[in-house]
Amino acid sequence: MSILEYNGGAIVAMVGKNCVAIGSDKRFGVQLMTVSTEFPKIFPATDKTFIGLPGLATDIRTLSERFRFKINMYKLSEEREIEPRTLAHLVSSTLYERRFGPYFVEPIIAGLDKDNQPFICGMDLIGCINFAKDFVVAGTTTDSLFGVCESLWEPDLEPEDLFETVSQSLLNAVDRDSLAGWGAVIHVVTPERVITRTLKTRMD
Amino acid sequence: MNPVILYNNDTSANVPVEAPVERQFYPYADNGGTSLGIAGADFCLLASDTRKSSGYSIHSRYSPKAFKLTEKAVLATNGFAADGLALTKSLCQKLEWYKHAHDKEMSTPALAQMLSNTLYYKRFFPYYTFNLLGGIDDQGRGIVYSFDPVGSMGTELCRAGGSSAALIQPFLDNQVGLKNQQGAQQTPLSLESAIRITKDAFTSATERDIYTGDYLEIFIIRQEGVTVERFDLKKD
Repeated sequence: MSILEYNGGAIVAMVGKNCVAIGSDKRFGVQLMTVSTEFPKIFPATDKTFIGLPGLATDIRTLSERFRFKINMYKLSEEREIEPRTLAHLVSSTLYERRFGPYFVEPIIAGLDKDNQPFICGMDLIGCINFAKDFVVAGTTTDSLFGVCESLWEPDLEPEDLFETVSQSLLNAVDRDSLAGWGAVIHVVTPERVITRTLKTRMD
Repeated sequence: MNPVILYNNDTSANVPVEAPVERQFYPYADNGGTSLGIAGADFCLLASDTRKSSGYSIHSRYSPKAFKLTEKAVLATNGFAADGLALTKSLCQKLEWYKHAHDKEMSTPALAQMLSNTLYYKRFFPYYTFNLLGGIDDQGRGIVYSFDPVGSMGTELCRAGGSSAALIQPFLDNQVGLKNQQGAQQTPLSLESAIRITKDAFTSATERDIYTGDYLEIFIIRQEGVTVERFDLKKD
């Protein structure tokens, strides 16, 4: 079994009309055994940007701290918040530095830029970026997520509709994956505020 | 005498070598493709794409893998196309014998059991097929049976099978089984909704799965008989 599937987890991000949403499950397991159900994999980068880190749990914790450090250093030297597109390249180059001994995570970045334009992207474990215009998925549930997202997503969704679309996509996908699920958390980023909701799900 | 020949220790140059030559034959292939079955109150819908692939090549854009077996049942075979064809041929023959012996067509539940037995008969050299059997039972209700290659059988409200099963199944859970929809009550699914959901599922699967595409065949099984509808899918 791949190291990327050792702990399990699923993340999805979608673009809406002047908003983005990103959601993850909360399971932390060791192969088929569930160890914790309070392990969200999404971390705030700025007020309007989030990083999702599915993959090996130990690397999720290492990288979330390394990115927090790098984002703070960026803010101190540049005296402004980092743009999501810049953050994507920062994450990408951090991963590519370990080209031949990678961190086992496939990050997803979602946020609004300085003009409040939505931005999402996904990348592989060595930092190859996928700039998607609609949605990105990562984790152990990618096939199921691709299927439901491709069917449920439509352009220019308002924040509440986008929340519902991400929620339904994530919930129905992880219910068919034994390595993901056990609770979910969704963040919807709008120009005014971030809406964070924790979802009740099937716990099996 | 030449000392090189006298003291030649290179045995490989002088001794005839007889090394075993390994040859191998793998009797299975994966030809991709996707099928889907939805059971309604008084109908059953069974849909398959018609692409036949091997690796990155498309062998055929129209090679159906869903077959009408009786006036009340349709079989969709996914996986290894040759085994699917052989299995269908064998089943049709058994159905013919049944008709001559009992002077009636086999019922759909009996056909499902026979398919299970036929698959298990080859337990140690299986037909490499993932089957969906859709039809209507003795009471006229729609029913979908799903099988693994060695004959494990289950009855289902909705089921996706084949290369895009993982992509379509959660969508069906949501739209047909109404999973994760608070307050939604299960009303009998209309045929129109079932067809719409099927088309949506296949167009989405075609976007992301290279083994699914070309054409979509939707079999609709009612008490009156079986009808087929064909639709275009993307061909890239």
